[in-house]
Amino acid sequence: MRIIIVGGGNVGYYLVKTLMAERHHIMLIDSNRARCERIENAFGGAYVEVTHGDGTNAECLRDAGIYHAEALIAVTGQGQNNLVSCQLAKDYFGVKRTIARVKNPKNIRVFEQLGVDSVISSTARIAGSIDSELDWADVNQLLTRKATHVRVREALVNTHSPYNGKRLNEIGLPKGMIIVTVVRDGEAVIPDGETVLNADDNVVILGNDCDLPQVISNIRGERV
Amino acid sequence: MYIIIAGCGKIGANLVKTLSNDGHDVVVIDPNEESFAQLENGTNCLTITGMPIDEDVLKSAGIEHADALLAVTSDDNVNIMTAQIASQLYHVPHVVTRVYDPEKDEILQQMGLTTVCPTMLTVAKIGSLLNETEVS
Repeated sequence: MRIIIVGGGNVGYYLVKTLMAERHHIMLIDSNRARCERIENAFGGAYVEVTHGDGTNAECLRDAGIYHAEALIAVTGQGQNNLVSCQLAKDYFGVKRTIARVKNPKNIRVFEQLGVDSVISSTARIAGSIDSELDWADVNQLLTRKATHVRVREALVNTHSPYNGKRLNEIGLPKGMIIVTVVRDGEAVIPDGETVLNADDNVVILGNDCDLPQVISNIRGERV
Repeated sequence: MYIIIAGCGKIGANLVKTLSNDGHDVVVIDPNEESFAQLENGTNCLTITGMPIDEDVLKSAGIEHADALLAVTSDDNVNIMTAQIASQLYHVPHVVTRVYDPEKDEILQQMGLTTVCPTMLTVAKIGSLLNETEVS
């Protein structure tokens, strides 16, 4: 299959590597020259062509060969750019299948409603697998039996959260409360005091039952 | 009218001024708080710091009962996404998108968006100024 990939960062790089091994013909677009060269040097050849340019620009998509593409996969770090690449591909160039990556899991629904065929969120996926591997209900039941007042909760850091952009040692969590892990861009970080919380981080937190609701609503940036 | 303006650059700030002077209720969204310094003192509007493509930010700006949304950030794709969230997900009656890229502008019009392309407006204006000087 002939596939256009927009975005040659880490996701794009490994996507090219994986898909070329399956004998797909890849046309990669990235606006950063260094990233283009990295992929050209590593994989350039009969199966991988690299175009330096803006993957949300119609002319650039034409140069890359979009008229021959059966699918477009947009995996830049910018959701809005991924959306526009997919919409141009589908609505204007008639590409059959479009796939977009979103960082913010809230955007999955938005992208689907705006016509992208498949939407991938690594954050939601990892958070989902944490959810399924560690059933909070079971953990909490266990905790209730062993130590009556301790619970595990998870919450997504909102842009408006007072914790957004702060280091953990700046936040001043109540005594006895600990952030167990921070899921960010598809990776679970085991934090320390220097770890900075950012919007869209998924935070798993362990602490005293009576302090948790306040901290959770702070993480979510809810006005109390 | 209740109007949301996404982007508080030169165009955004001037839209805020004009529209609030005309008696509209105006909310302006920008990810950088410093951008609001461009608003004139005493301008009557609400400011919200955040990314306009974030549905929660749009909700806090009152998108559910907005009469109009003007997407005028400096990033074409942010404008396009914001405008589509407003028109297709929240059915805001009047949505205008600013797009610099002329070809993208044409495509978006075909897709049914209402757009303004400063690039082509400038080109057209300069062209007509040249024609005027030729005539005189």
